[in-house]
Amino acid sequence: MSEMWINMGPQHPMTHGLWNLRVKIDGEMILDVDPEMGYLHRGIEKISEDRHYNEVITLMDRCCYVAGFSWEHLYILGAEEALHVEPPERAEYLRVLCDEFQRIGSHLMWYAAFVQDIGLMSPFLYGMRDRDLVLDLFQSYTGARMTYEYMRVGGVRNDVPPGFTDSARKVLDWLTARFPEYDQLCLGSTIFRERCDELGILKAADCVKHGVTGPMLRSAGVKRDLRKDRPYSAYDRLEFDVAVADAADVTARYLVRMEEMRQSVRILRQVLDWLDRHPGPVLADHLPRWLGAPYAPIGNEGYLLKRNYPKGVGFSAIEEPHGEALAYVVNDGGEHPYRVKFRSPVFANISAARQYLVGYHVADIPPIMGSVDVCVGEVDR
Amino acid sequence: MQPDDITRALGPKLGDGLLSVEPFEGTAGRVRFRPESALALFEAVRDDLRFAHCATVGGIDWVDHREVFYVLWSDEAGQYLFLSADVPADAPHIESAASVWPSANWHEREAWELVGITFDHHPDLRHLLMPDGYVFHPLLRSFKLHEPESLEVKSRHV
Amino acid sequence: MASQTLYSVSNDLATVLLNGLGSILPGPVRAVVTNPDVIVGLSVLIFAAVLLAASMINTIVLIWWERKLLGRFMDRRGAMHVGYAGLLQNFADGLKLFRKNTFQPREADALGFYSGPLAYMVTSLIIFGILPISSGWNSGALPLTLLLALAIFSFAPLFIFVSAWSSNNKYSLMGGMRSAAQMIAYEVPILLAVVAVVIVSGSFDLSTIVYEQQNYWFWGPLVVALIVFVAGMLAEMERIPFDLPEAEAELVEGWNTEYGGMLFAFFMLADYLRALVGSILVVLLFLGGWTLPSWVPSAATSFPLAGIFWFMVKTYAVFGLFVWVRASLPRVRTDQLLRVGWNRMIPLSLLSIFLAAVLVTVKCLPVFGCVPSMGV
Repeated sequence: MSEMWINMGPQHPMTHGLWNLRVKIDGEMILDVDPEMGYLHRGIEKISEDRHYNEVITLMDRCCYVAGFSWEHLYILGAEEALHVEPPERAEYLRVLCDEFQRIGSHLMWYAAFVQDIGLMSPFLYGMRDRDLVLDLFQSYTGARMTYEYMRVGGVRNDVPPGFTDSARKVLDWLTARFPEYDQLCLGSTIFRERCDELGILKAADCVKHGVTGPMLRSAGVKRDLRKDRPYSAYDRLEFDVAVADAADVTARYLVRMEEMRQSVRILRQVLDWLDRHPGPVLADHLPRWLGAPYAPIGNEGYLLKRNYPKGVGFSAIEEPHGEALAYVVNDGGEHPYRVKFRSPVFANISAARQYLVGYHVADIPPIMGSVDVCVGEVDR
Repeated sequence: MQPDDITRALGPKLGDGLLSVEPFEGTAGRVRFRPESALALFEAVRDDLRFAHCATVGGIDWVDHREVFYVLWSDEAGQYLFLSADVPADAPHIESAASVWPSANWHEREAWELVGITFDHHPDLRHLLMPDGYVFHPLLRSFKLHEPESLEVKSRHV
Repeated sequence: MASQTLYSVSNDLATVLLNGLGSILPGPVRAVVTNPDVIVGLSVLIFAAVLLAASMINTIVLIWWERKLLGRFMDRRGAMHVGYAGLLQNFADGLKLFRKNTFQPREADALGFYSGPLAYMVTSLIIFGILPISSGWNSGALPLTLLLALAIFSFAPLFIFVSAWSSNNKYSLMGGMRSAAQMIAYEVPILLAVVAVVIVSGSFDLSTIVYEQQNYWFWGPLVVALIVFVAGMLAEMERIPFDLPEAEAELVEGWNTEYGGMLFAFFMLADYLRALVGSILVVLLFLGGWTLPSWVPSAATSFPLAGIFWFMVKTYAVFGLFVWVRASLPRVRTDQLLRVGWNRMIPLSLLSIFLAAVLVTVKCLPVFGCVPSMGV
């Protein structure tokens, strides 16, 4: 067979979202790839320029549909810095709670999609089943399973309901008991190791060169985790280890994500204990009136006043489930953000696709791209 | 790393290409520089200050001029660093950083199509998020959200 | 006991029907109706219709069985709502596919595009005509049924490749090529494994092979051949872990990407027909067909159609094993699959032939007959 280009996407089971991987193949070998993004571009950065600060949170949930909380958190941190607002401590812990449960949820979603890519059918259902428990928890205190709109500039919308910490601990116990089962199904399978070992290798130097972050970078042995290196919210008061692996292949990424879930469980237990012991407000007092009360209908008259508020810029960086996410919020004293810029980790991870795909087989594309954990919503924004 | 350290390290190499280094929002600082000395600055920042990871490149439209900013990270310092340059609004162009940090490639493509900043000597300055042949730059202040745009878009591969 | 076959029953039925019809018709027409050739023609039709209905219904129930089993493996329930425990769900699905518009891609080659699924379906059905189901229900005595069944079974790559190529889709073409490569690679070990069975049983006739297993089932002495045969059958059926020709993750749906509606249903049904044939062959060659061990109380074998019943139980159990494999293993890669096929399976199957020859030569086979079984 001669060389040919095939379009893997935008409607293709490999993509897990709406994007197109153009692949140049010779027989079953990959000669070149060219990812094409933009099918899901909604112009979130532009729409943000036309919205009040708290209204942007709605967009953040839609930014990444499996890690809405992380993006809310990212934006809120930037916006608070730009608006000179300090959240109460309990809100910080609640945000970490959201973040870490979201990381587990996102990694479970990744696990489900990834094992599906290499043809493992049952663990797909197991991953989705256990992710549902996490979503149930989210529903119990935000009312939503996917688009939460929970965090606010200056805190969070509401506290967790009574008895939440106990049900959360039950979920953690259940998950802890399930992790060995996941490992048995994947690492215990010779076929899995045959498929995933020494596949999609991206060494540490190349990762840094091409801006690859998150589990992909840590699977190459680089111990960079913004929760440790640049602690935000309550992470400097919590104990956890950064998961790293050395092989830089698909199996290593699997190991890193699994270990991250375990570490998230560890963090969550500390957070839940803290929440039990420290009741308190979850939203800052003395919020500027135009930011509105947490339940105020959007568009209340406070927004319409031309306000006189100090200018500022906010820059926040968080370790999203997929990697390093940045937000840059410019406040020019107007009622809307002047400019909001987001850095999506998956955006950079996909941009390096040529480095970790060329030279492998067509059948290797799903596991490799699965190990990248693509979320198109945050790439296209 | 403090802004003074950065000034000391970069000043001799760049001369008046370096405008100022100011403290900035929990990062190592913000380096303001002239767009003409972009490449020299990038190489100095990467090689001397060891900021090996280019996290993102973006643009801001300040109507009278446009700002290009680069966010860098150094594992050694454990800090972010902002670089920022003002380019004129009528001819917004700056040297591409893709030769120094390959990861800037896609970020510059995005900044080009959304904010309209041309990156000279970019290896692959194509549309990324917008369809081919899209002539608007949505993140400019002159792009009105509430007015319909009209454009005939052709598919790329037919 | 084996005097009555499916064909003889349909022949009797046709004779009775046509003679009865002839007795109430006027003379010249009666002569036509009771003509022996017409009787033979009608009995063949009845035979084919019964076979078609039986295999189709079995196939659809097989899909239900797989869905329910997979559901349980995956911690869910499977089809639940149409019929008892979702038993009629697949009939509903089939009807839906039947109602759907069949379409053909603009650039596709019509001849190959339409004849591929039909030929695939028909060749899969033909095998049922020669498989003995029980001592009383086989299609008639043919001396070489095993060879014939495997020969027809191996037609499939050709038709798959024709339909894949004529769909004019890159994914279909890649799937078709993978399918052809895979089926040819695993054809060889399957045939070699069967040779071991033939050595031990001394016959190419499936009924005879089953009778030879009255004292001991062949899976004991021929366990190596069984492993090779089952693994090869998994590849021939294109089921996980060997389902790369339709690996949905990278090839969308493989060689049947462009097919929809009834043409897709043909592929789907033929796939499950082949899965059924594969399970039946495992039962016939290694698990004693319709026979049961002698320690089973005679009440279990004395009711009407007990042979067919136990035969189906075994077949569904073997298929359940295939489903279990599907639920717990990932998919291998093309090069790995072919490497396993040529480098591992063929030496193993040769080993199984050698073992069978040794067993026959040193006459130690009766050792396996210490738990004698009996015919039904």
